[in-house]
Amino acid sequence: MHRVILAVLAVSATVTLAVADDTPAPVKTDLYTVVDGYKVDANTMKGFRTWRAAACDRCHGANQQGLVGPSLINSLKVLTKDEFKTTVTDGRLERGMVSFKESKTVMGNLDNLYAYLKGRSDGAIIRAKVEELKQ
Amino acid sequence: MNRRLRQVLVPLTLAVVASTPLLAQANADVEKLTADPKNWAMQAGDMYNQRYSKLKQVTDKNVNKLQVAWMFSTGVLRGHEGSPLVVGDMMYIHSPFPNKVFAMDLNTNKIVWKYEPRQDPAVIPQMCCDTVNRGVAYGENKVILQQADSTLVALDAKTGKVVWSVKNGDPKLGAVNTNAPHIFKDKVITGISGGEWGVRGFIAAYNLNDGSLAWKGYSVGPDEEMLIDPQKTTTWMDGKVQPVGADSSLKTWKEDQWKIGGGTTWGWYSYDKALNLMYYGSGNPSTWNPAQRPGDNKWSMSIWARDVDTGKVKWVYQMTPYDEWDFDGINEMILADLNVKGKPTKALVHFDRNGFGYTLDRTNGALLVAEKYDPTVNWATKVDMKTGRPQVVSKYSTAQNGPDVNTKGVCPAALGTKDQQPAAYAPDTKLFYVPTNHVCMDYEPFAVEYTAGQPYVGATLSMYPAPGSHGGMGNFIAWDASAGKIVWSKAEKFSVWSGALATAGNLVFYGTLEGYLKAVRKSDGKELWKFKTPSGIIGNVFTYEHKGKQYVGVYSGIGGWAGIGMAAGLDKDTDGLGAVGGYRELNQYTDLGGSLTVFAIPGGN
Repeated sequence: MHRVILAVLAVSATVTLAVADDTPAPVKTDLYTVVDGYKVDANTMKGFRTWRAAACDRCHGANQQGLVGPSLINSLKVLTKDEFKTTVTDGRLERGMVSFKESKTVMGNLDNLYAYLKGRSDGAIIRAKVEELKQ
Repeated sequence: MNRRLRQVLVPLTLAVVASTPLLAQANADVEKLTADPKNWAMQAGDMYNQRYSKLKQVTDKNVNKLQVAWMFSTGVLRGHEGSPLVVGDMMYIHSPFPNKVFAMDLNTNKIVWKYEPRQDPAVIPQMCCDTVNRGVAYGENKVILQQADSTLVALDAKTGKVVWSVKNGDPKLGAVNTNAPHIFKDKVITGISGGEWGVRGFIAAYNLNDGSLAWKGYSVGPDEEMLIDPQKTTTWMDGKVQPVGADSSLKTWKEDQWKIGGGTTWGWYSYDKALNLMYYGSGNPSTWNPAQRPGDNKWSMSIWARDVDTGKVKWVYQMTPYDEWDFDGINEMILADLNVKGKPTKALVHFDRNGFGYTLDRTNGALLVAEKYDPTVNWATKVDMKTGRPQVVSKYSTAQNGPDVNTKGVCPAALGTKDQQPAAYAPDTKLFYVPTNHVCMDYEPFAVEYTAGQPYVGATLSMYPAPGSHGGMGNFIAWDASAGKIVWSKAEKFSVWSGALATAGNLVFYGTLEGYLKAVRKSDGKELWKFKTPSGIIGNVFTYEHKGKQYVGVYSGIGGWAGIGMAAGLDKDTDGLGAVGGYRELNQYTDLGGSLTVFAIPGGN
């Protein structure tokens, strides 16, 4: 419980920083590491590749801002991680959300996809297209 | 004439009429219905895809008196494309998914029957970006509905009862339908969607009588599966019409990529009875990442002429070999008899997504004219008239720039200088009236793996109004297809995503994404009248006559690719400007909601 609260606090703090400065300070959470607002750790990078491979942008927009599907910038402020995983796995067919159960790429990268989209929603990742952080 | 003689003559006349269908074998019913301008018996009004009406009660002189006669809600929110049909006293109204059909008696405005199929909701996400349906067909007392889940169903026009039903594709693999079925002769012609799911495109003909499959021709693959005869099927090469030769498709694909190679067929088809040929376009090759499919990818992106009885390909012409921009070639083929370069020509005119307006000889596929119908088109300098190939500009080549590189400033955008929204042709002015998009894009391809039944796209796009122009995202133009020149052009704030209607009353009608139905003068495009309907218009304008009065109607109901931003809460700009780009402003004008609005001039005419 404590860890969750701390993580949330850390994210909130970095959002403030990102807004205040032109070059965002590095952000490191349990989910992702972001430098300069777009250089990300290897797993978050895999999340971005999964986002592209599954063509999520066709419904959610190239910048996750929402098209025929909802804005994920907004949705990931509301959905829990478990709800996110259930939605991606089973879809919401009546509303047009695909079930990705049969996609090995998506199923094998659910945590990574969540990290990337949560980073976008938190504002820690400041643009949709990210690059891998050179260690 | 004395009464006895008349009694003798009448049965004789009937006998002749009754035997004609057997002799002519054309669909006498549809032919007869479309010949009467009081009906709107096909989606384009006729088999030539002209979208022209001889009705002329409403003219450039009195159109300012046009008012709403009645309205009807379909009860469905998503994008409403296509139009109703009118046959005698009946109107057949359709909706997007769940694909309702209403039969309305125009004398009473009462719903005589309603059909609503049960479909697996899993089909909805496969229809991204919207669950549109482009309308029904009518023939021989049947209403033909092409459902989203690919089921093709014939309904009894009087009762709405199912006469027959067939499965046209496998929706589990992304093979779904948005197109309107077309009735030519004794066949129901339909296509398939799903180019973004790796579906291999085809066109299929079912017998109108019982729904049995008459023939099926694929867009890509082995000759026999495309119904191509290497010696008899021709194409435009080296400045002349020549046989395509063996394996014309297979040798333009890397390995087995053609099996998931796209070339889907969801546009509007046309038919020339004298030549017994039907015409249509095939769509983009799959994936959108050109690096994964080196070669011309024949016969994606092509214009096809097939024999309606056998499906055999008479000729085929590829507009965009090796597509790198999703310039889906499905737009309608309009048949018109024109004077091209001083020569009377049985022409086929096509406004392609790639931004070129093509005029071909429809008897043999000879290329006659290919010119830009929007001056901002920049991805190619011109079409080489000898080879028929566009001359690609390296800077805008997403293949030459390669995967993971964002190619910027390509005009037009993937939705094309025109998408499916059909143009009209007026035989009296010999001009084409074309609803267009004025939109450019950035396009970044990337590698994707194919998984059956999963999206298979492979590019990220962002679209915005054509830079350095009037700032709007659309134009409505008049086009001279003999010369390949724009005659007049009217700027629009948003893409014109509505099918046009030209009439003998010196008028052209079209709808706008803000929701206006507009009437402009045929000769110069001057706007004479407009009316704000309840939602943005992506449907096609149609007209008919009932009890001596001319009516003009159109669906409103924003959606489709152009309206996809509407459903989202887009309250602020995000970094980089998203794919919605300039469409975002639409929510200042309109929201979702499907309805039909029908107009007439009040009082006697």
